[in-house]
Formats: sequence, structure tokens, C-alpha cells
Amino acid sequence: MLFRNVFKITVLCVLCIVGLGCNGKKQQAQNGATDFPREKTIYLGGDQWGEPNTFNPLCDWPAWPVHGKTDLLYEPLMVFNSLTGDMEPLLAHSLEKTPDVISVILNSRAKWSDGVPLTAEDVVFSYEIGKNYKNAPMNYAAVVDFVSDVTVEKVPDPLTGGKTQAEKIHFVVNKKARNNPLIVLDQLQDVRILPKHSIEPMLQKLNNDFTAFQKEKLDKDPVVSGPYNLDSYSSEKIVLKRRDDYWGNVALRGNRKPAPEYFIHPIYKSNDHFSVALQQGNLDVSMTYIPRIWMKAKDNVGTWYKRAPYFVPGCMPLMLINFTRYPLSDKNFRLAMASAINYTEIKDLAISGYTPEIKPGLIMPYGIEKKFFSDEDAQKYGAHFDTVAAKRLLREAGFKSIFDKDGNLVQMTDAKGKKVPTLLITSPAGWSDWEAMVKIAVKDMRAVGIDIREGFVDASLYWQALPFGKFDLLMYKPLPEATPSKPWSQLDHIMSSRNWKPEGERMNENQGRYNNPKGKNYNRAVDSLLLAIPHIMDDAELIKAYRALNVIFMQDQPALPLAYLPEQFYEFSTKHWTNWATEDNPYAPPQPPFYAAGIKMLWELKRAK
Amino acid sequence: MKIFLNLLKSPSFLIGISLFFLTICFAVFFPFFYHIDVRTMGVPMTPPCREHWLGTNHLGIDMISLLVRGLRSSLYVGFLAGIMATIVGTLLGVYAGFKGGWQDEVITLITNIFVVIPQFVVLVLISASMKEGRSLTLIAIIIAFTSWTWSARAVRAQSSSLKSRDHIALARVNGNGTLKIVLYQILPYLLSYVFMVFIIQTASGIISESCISMIGLGPYDTVSLGTILNEAMRNEALSDGAWWAFVPATVLISVIVFAFYVINTSMEGVFNPRLRK
Amino acid sequence: MFRNHPTARYILTRGGWYFLTFLVAVTINFFLPRLGPSNPVDIILAKAGGVSDNATRQKEESYLKEFGLAEVDKSGNVLRDAKDAPVRTSAWKQFGNYIFMSLKGDLGTSFMSYPKKVTEIIKTAVPWTIALQLPAILLAWIVGNVLGALAAYRRGIFDKVFFPLALGANSIPFFAFGMLLVYLLGILWPIFPAVGGYDGGLNPSFSLIFFGSVMYHYILPFMSLFIIFTGGQAIGMRSMCIYELGTDYVKYAKWLGISESKVLFYMFRNAMLPQLTGLALSLGVMIGGALITEMIFSYPGIGMAVLSAIQNNDYPLIQGCTLLITVSVLIANFTVDILIGFLDPRVKAGRGVK
Repeated sequence: MLFRNVFKITVLCVLCIVGLGCNGKKQQAQNGATDFPREKTIYLGGDQWGEPNTFNPLCDWPAWPVHGKTDLLYEPLMVFNSLTGDMEPLLAHSLEKTPDVISVILNSRAKWSDGVPLTAEDVVFSYEIGKNYKNAPMNYAAVVDFVSDVTVEKVPDPLTGGKTQAEKIHFVVNKKARNNPLIVLDQLQDVRILPKHSIEPMLQKLNNDFTAFQKEKLDKDPVVSGPYNLDSYSSEKIVLKRRDDYWGNVALRGNRKPAPEYFIHPIYKSNDHFSVALQQGNLDVSMTYIPRIWMKAKDNVGTWYKRAPYFVPGCMPLMLINFTRYPLSDKNFRLAMASAINYTEIKDLAISGYTPEIKPGLIMPYGIEKKFFSDEDAQKYGAHFDTVAAKRLLREAGFKSIFDKDGNLVQMTDAKGKKVPTLLITSPAGWSDWEAMVKIAVKDMRAVGIDIREGFVDASLYWQALPFGKFDLLMYKPLPEATPSKPWSQLDHIMSSRNWKPEGERMNENQGRYNNPKGKNYNRAVDSLLLAIPHIMDDAELIKAYRALNVIFMQDQPALPLAYLPEQFYEFSTKHWTNWATEDNPYAPPQPPFYAAGIKMLWELKRAK
Repeated sequence: MKIFLNLLKSPSFLIGISLFFLTICFAVFFPFFYHIDVRTMGVPMTPPCREHWLGTNHLGIDMISLLVRGLRSSLYVGFLAGIMATIVGTLLGVYAGFKGGWQDEVITLITNIFVVIPQFVVLVLISASMKEGRSLTLIAIIIAFTSWTWSARAVRAQSSSLKSRDHIALARVNGNGTLKIVLYQILPYLLSYVFMVFIIQTASGIISESCISMIGLGPYDTVSLGTILNEAMRNEALSDGAWWAFVPATVLISVIVFAFYVINTSMEGVFNPRLRK
Repeated sequence: MFRNHPTARYILTRGGWYFLTFLVAVTINFFLPRLGPSNPVDIILAKAGGVSDNATRQKEESYLKEFGLAEVDKSGNVLRDAKDAPVRTSAWKQFGNYIFMSLKGDLGTSFMSYPKKVTEIIKTAVPWTIALQLPAILLAWIVGNVLGALAAYRRGIFDKVFFPLALGANSIPFFAFGMLLVYLLGILWPIFPAVGGYDGGLNPSFSLIFFGSVMYHYILPFMSLFIIFTGGQAIGMRSMCIYELGTDYVKYAKWLGISESKVLFYMFRNAMLPQLTGLALSLGVMIGGALITEMIFSYPGIGMAVLSAIQNNDYPLIQGCTLLITVSVLIANFTVDILIGFLDPRVKAGRGVK
């Protein structure tokens, strides 16, 4: 008897759960009662993985929307438009640059959310945090090396026709440390301006101990200057609410408000969740990697281009080559590797065709870098997919490859008859598109006789191997974001001998240890070009210098570029919001609308009918 | 071997064994009339067609080839883990059950310690310090390492109930040492039980391997049924409707494990007549 | 002193052994992550990138100091060896610090979610894990056991159909089943939501609407766990009941003419004991449990936290989570031992005799 009852109760419970669930859905559909009405909310994904830890912009890796170049709460002086190559105004305008000083005029109408005007004091405070406090976050601390002084000058305000005064801020390039105005430009769009009147007292209360200050979360009504502020957050999502008294609505956007009132970033555990949400219209824009995106077109999912390559190229995944290991120090061997890879296969199979055709060199033949790219140089010096040439190069360098009867590579010997050790391509296990690229590259290189294998490791080991040079080849995506210092910074990151250290000691760039300054084959042209380019003002001279550097790259092949990928994946759904920027409507760069210059989309988005 | 003949008479045993042999045949003989190739890449995510009977995965590699290779790997891991876990668990369990007293307590202590350590913590940490990274053998060892406790407990219960039997007392009176008693008096009685334990351990080893690979902690360079599922998930096969990248592997795992469970049940029926009709 | 209280002695001895286990487990869980070659600070720095060498060096020192991973000299600077690599504190010293702080209730600060504290992370994650599994485990236990008992008692057609079904259900890896459910009912015919704990447009509150949304999103994960657990329980219960049905005392009772329901009652009670211990053990393992289910349905529980912690060498978080898992498993086992001691008359009888 007892059991019968218990059983009935349990079955009832199960049915209850199901019933309540269905009822819940019906209720919701009927009332439409939510805390955040769908028609006023924009959902986005791909920029926050894991629980939000802190919203303190002075922490090293805070959560969205305070990290990276998300300028919704805290704003930089200017933003970089990766489509046009222009620096666009935000907190400042009227950029002037010379090799010694970079100047901007602060927008006199900028204000903080508590009503206090945003002045040059805040700018100076933010740029000198690295100078005044120890343990500042890395991008603030790095300012010290590039900007020696920040001075302020009062000038007639061009926005009011000279009737009032505005503040002109001069950033003096630090000639004693890193004499590099290009990086100063980078910092103009990277360093976010912080409210001195709010943060300085907090720091003083903690005895100016930065490490203690970094433990503050700044998550309750922080003082911000941007168009949105933090509403609430949990381990499942982060919610932002529009600020109707945002200074830029009047000053920059023609007296309009951004269309969405709420900004919600749900926190999912993997890419395919964002995919499914986008497909079903529960997500409006995403920056996750979604393979075969053309299959989602019927679900109103769109990208910048309607057809291949769907995305605009912005960065270059490549394989770093460790010059200190044998036989990678042999130039012909490297060129053979570059000629062995079938780049079309990588494009089609590994990354769903999301890249236009790749050409040799470290400069992209598209977009704003196009003017520095020379087709003629690429034809003459560059390595293209050519298995005959690859085999010839190996033969000429004295390498012999032995295959078995099925055509599989057994081993490779060098000119002296010694067996060449099996090389490994180190790549983090679990990153799907990189895994595919590595597998294809291995297959292609083995086919021409190079003894190489995939070396998938856990992510923690990968991040350890990168700076200390503990690899033969390493999959890497340097500098994924578009900045005004590209393509210089890309070339510098791969080829500069500035901090050359042997394997086992930390290097933050040129981890392949190319061009040892104490080595026999040191080519001083590389470093002298890298030092000179940031100071060249004349366009023609600049193009000549980049061409020369790129030719050296193609001749030495210190790395193996595999494809182009976009800066961020920009995918959107037109189920709830329309008028996204696309190739037919390029009023903003192909970026999610919370990122750098993509922010202006927020004022142009329209509700779908 | 009357027992064996009895087994053959039981219909569930026949079903289980035939399912098992069917899958083994698939793994061993299928390559003879279907070209197995896990290296050639082609058009990604093609549906089943004449060339690829079960379609292709995200790199265009033929699914059937992947399934055949994967089946071999999963069976290897399952059996290796099963054998190791059963041997360790049985020896410790018999000794603990038979001896009782403080030896029993100490072994229980050790058992509990192993129960408490999460499987994937050990897996990630050990594979991180090994140069060759994660291989099938390492995964099998770790699965055995964290699951022998089940067999230890099961065998211990049986052996401690055997302890009070008469023939054991007789052996003691005769002056036989513990090891001799364990080997000659207890183990033979437990053999059938141990065999069933082995089957369960193997089945759960196969499922464990698929779980581990599913999380992303699978073997680096080899295909296994779990890695097939993991790749299907990571490459969003399901949201594009590419069921062939996912369902066949699931079916294979389920069929093998089901076969094992059925064999186990039929053995229970034979060894323990009360369980039969 | 305890000679006259065998019960108390039993509890204390078992408790003592469990405490010892706890100590050993905590020590192992501390040292295991540190055996690997990776240094968490290197990982953090490599991921953060960085233009300036000075800044990177400053950061490295501050984090090493903050996490207690490097030796510091009197003026507070990190000691460096001949190759200019920081001198790391010995694992034993770190262990001492860890014990000291844990006794104060401070489980440390997470490395990868700096500056979040480990206790905070665990506090928000554990309710999700429990809410996901507890109803499924409990309900599946009840339904499964009853169905198993029915199958054992009735035999016949019900058993012949039910048993293979249950066995089959138990053979499918539960995550595969979950993914199939998501595919069929979440994507192909979108009746149920495919992801998330509750509707994105709601904030947690004590309203009926929120509760309804939570239930709606819970159906698929619940089903994926419930059906498979039920299968497993039913099979176990069925074997136990069949065994009991054939025992002498049942036959004897039947001859004596004792009523059917009374016989059944005693039979179920005996068969229940191992099932009860199984339940207690499942509840204990629950905390470490459904990592993959959380992954598939995006429930921010402890499973996902542990996995990312391991992959990022986040020592304090690994220690905190494994501590929690250890404690819950040990408590469950301890409870089971005590329960058996009280409920199983054979053990009770054996205890009084010495």
C-alpha cells in the first residue's frame, strides 16, 4: 500500500515538473512579461566566458564590458575604424601627429555619469597611472615607455567656433625609451579615461596600494562616461542599461539615443550554444566562430559579405618557427615548408572558407594594408603552394626523404646522412579551427617528405611554451586586433631582435628567435627598418620601407602564415534588429556594436517589423 | 564445464554474445570490403551517400573509417582498464574481506581515498607532466586507477560472506597460510563473480573513455568513439542537422555496452539459479 | 570506557578512519596540481600579451607575490636565481600557508578569476549543480526501484519488455542521450529551450514567472538524467528482488500463509538496503557529478568550474572544489556505514558479540 502511494506521488511529481515547465512557457508567451522586454534589448555573445570576476578597469582581465576595446562604459580618446583606417573622434577630436608629439583636442562637452565634467585632469591622471602607481594593469603601465610627458594647453574651441576654450592635450613621444609615435597612436584608442575625482580618493583610502585597489569590483553604479552602465550581473549573464544623459548623444550622435535600452550578454559554456541561440533568434549578434555559417542564412543570420568569404580579413594565424632548433635554421627547409602547404585546403576545410585567398608575406593584400602590399614582390620572392618547388628545395639543401610502399613518409635524412628528428607543431588541444589547420599542414608537409607531426598539448602547456621558445613550430595568432600601428606592429612582433634571448628565457615577441643579434647571419636591415618606419611621414617612403621589410620576410620565412581571419567574427540576426552594417551598408566597420568604432551602430539599429 | 553449456542454453546470453561478436566483426572485417581512410580530407559534413555510407565529418574524413578505428580504440581502453581494475580490485577485495580486522580497515581507507579523487583531475595533471601527452594506454591506466574501488567493494562483500564457510575453517585447521587459502579456497568460488565484475568494469571503462574524450581530455592523436562525439559537438554538427556525425557513434557505444550488460545478466542467471525463472 | 557502548565505539572508530582519509585526501589534492610543470603566472602573462617588457616583469612579480608562489627578500622584492628566473616557494611552505588560511575559513583567491575569492565562486556554483541533479536522482531512485520491484514480482510480459528497455537505457552514455534530446526537442522541433537555466530576459526573483521559466528550461536536462538513472535503479532493484523472492524465509512465510502484502513488505525492506546505500553514495558523488550535463545545457555549476580551474592551473580553485567533493563523498560514505550499522540486523548482531 505504502509503495503504491509513494509511487503515485512520485509520478505526480515528475508530471508536475513537466507541466509547470510547459505552463511557464505559455505564461511567458502570453504576458510577454519579462524584466527586460525583448524589443528593447539587444543580446550579444562571445566576449565573456566564465563568471564575471570584476568590473574594475584597472584590473588585468576584468569581465565584459570593461575589458578589451569595449567602450560602452569607459571610453578612450579616439577609436580606430579598421575599414577606413581613420582615427575617429570619441572623447577627443582633431588629431595631429608629428614624430615628436601627438596632440588631440578634448571634447568640451564630455561629462561623467555623476555630472562632473570630463577634463584634461582625468586624461593626465589616466595616462600617468603607470608612472605614479606600481602594479598598474599592463596597458596603462606600458604608457611609461612610450609617452614621456602629457601637457595641456588651452586653445579656442573649434566646436563652438572659437567662442569658448577647449583643452588641447600633447603626448610627448618618449625619445629616451621606446621612441615610437605609432604605439602612442595605439594607446590613444586603447587607454580608457578614468574618473580622477572618483578613483583617486579610493586609492588614497587604501594608502595608494594598487594591489588592494584591484580587489575592488566597482560593480555598483560606477562613475562612467559611456552610453551604458552596469545594471546587474550573475553567473549566467551581464546586463547593461542605457544612460539617457550620455554626453555623446548630443555632442556626437546628432541628439539621438542608442536604439537598444538594455544590453545583455548571456554566459554560455561553448560556441555551439551561442550558435543555436543566434539561429533561434535568442541572440542578436555574436563574435564566436561558427562554421558553415551559410547554412544559417535561412534563419536570418547574416554576415558582412553575403557570399564567401563572409568576413573581412583582419589578422593572420600563422606558425612560428624556432630558429634555434635544427633543421629549422636552414632557410631552404623553411621555404620548402611554406611551399608544401595547400592553402586552399586550409581555407576551405579548416575555416569554412572565411578568408580571401592568401598571398605570401606578412602584409595583407586587402583593406587598409593593401597599399603597402606589392603583387610583383609576392610573385618574385614569395613561397606559393608548389609541391615540386618544395621537393626541389629540400633536395638542394641535401635532405632525403624515405617513403614506404604505401607512400607514407618513414623518415628524413640530412646532407650528412643523419636522421632528422621528428618535428612537432605545438597547438592547444581543443581549439577546433587551429586543430584543423595543423592537421592539414602536417598532412601536406609529410607528403613532400618533411618529417613533422601534430603536437597537441593542453592550453596551459601551450601558454608556457610560447614565451620560452619551447617548441619546434607553434600555432599562433599574433595581434588579432586592428590598430593604427599595423602592419608595423605585426612585422615587429615577428621579426624584431630588440629583446632577443635564447630558448628558456622569456620573450614577449619574436618568440621564434629570428635574427639573433649576436649570430653570424644577423641582418641589421630588419631592425633598422623597424626602427625607422614609425617616424616616416611621407607615404611614398613608407611604402618603400614596408616593401623592403616584407621582401626580407619572404626571403627568410621566419613564420608560416596560413590564412587570414577577421579581427572578430561578426555575425548578426535580423529577427529582432535590422540595419546592421554590411558591405552594402558600410556605415560602420564589421565589428560587434560594442567594440571600438562599431559602437556607432547602436544609434542606427532599427527594430524589425 | 557444465556451466558453460548452461550459458549457451540461455537466450539472453546468446543475444549478448552475438551482439558483441557483431561489433567485433565490424571492427575487424569491415575494412576488407570498404576502403578505410582516416587521413584523406574532403568536403566537410556531407550526408550519407554512395561514396561515404555514413557521410563525412567536419574535415571531410569518411565517418565509417573513423567509426572502425574509434571502435578499436574504445575497446582497447575498455578491456585494458577492465583487466587492470578487476585484478587490483579483486586482490585487494578478497584480502580485505577474508582477513577482516585492521587489514580490512586499512584497505577500506585506501579505497576511500581513491574514491574521493576526481578522475579528470588526475588525468589532466598526469598527462600534463608526460611528454607524449595523453595516449590511449594512459587513459586506460587512469580509468583503472580511479574505478578499481568498485570491484574492491563488490568482491570484498562476497569474500567476507565466504569467510565463515566450513571448508575455509578446515583449511585453516590444516595450517594453510592466508595466501594459500585465498588462492585455492576462496578465489575458485569467486571466479564466476569476478568474471562478471570484469565485464561490468569493461563496459564502464568504455563509457568512461567516451565521457573523458567528450570533455576534451581524450587522446591526442588517436580516434576513439568519444573523440568522434567531442568533435561533433565542437564543430556544431547537431545545430546544422548533421546527425551522421553523432548518432552512429552513440549507437555503437550503446550496443557494445548493452551487449556486455546482457551477457552479465545471463551469467547472473546461470551462476545463481534463483535468478532464473 | 566505551566497553559498554558498542554503538558509540563503532561510530567513533569509523569516524576516526574517515577523518584520516580526509586528511590524506586533502594533502593529495594539494600536491597533485603542483606536480605539473606549468606555472599559473606564466599562463596568465602569456595570455595577457603585453607590449612593454618592464610592465610584464612588474606584473609577474606582483602576481607571484600575491599568490605566494615565489620567495621574497626582506625589502619585498622577488628573489631571482642565476638565470633570472624567480625562485619558487617550496610546495611544503605553500601547504602550510594553505592549512593555516583554510582553518580561518579563507580558501584563497582564484588565479584565473582574480580577484574573486574561491568561496564566492563555490557558493554561486554549487546550488546549480545540486538543483540540476538532486530532483533527478531522488525521483529516479523512487520510480526506478518501484518499477524494478514490480518487474521482479510480476515477471511475465511486463518483465520481458521492461527489462531490456531499462538495460538499454542504462547503456546509452547519458551525455549522448542529453545531446540527442537537445537535437530532437530543442533544435529540430523546438519545443523546449536548448540552453540556459532560465529565460535570458528575466532576473532571478521569487515570482511565479521566473519559477515557471526555470522549470521550462529544466525539462530537458531533467529528462536526460532521470531516464538513465531510472533504468539503472530498476535493474539493480530487480536483481535484488528476484534474489529475495527465492530465499528460504519468503518461501516459508508463504507456506505459513502470511498475507502477500506483509511478505512483500519484508522482502522490499531487505532489498532496499543496498539500494539505500547506493542512493547515499550517489548523493555524495553528486557534487563532483554532472560535468558534461552542465556543459551541454550551460548550467554554471561546479563541474565546469573545476574543469576550467584544472586547465588553467588555478590551484586555489582546484583545492577548494576538490575539498568540497572530498567532504561530501566522505560524509555520504560515513552516513552509509552508520546507516548499515543501525539498519542491517546482521551487522548489529555481529557488533554486540566480541
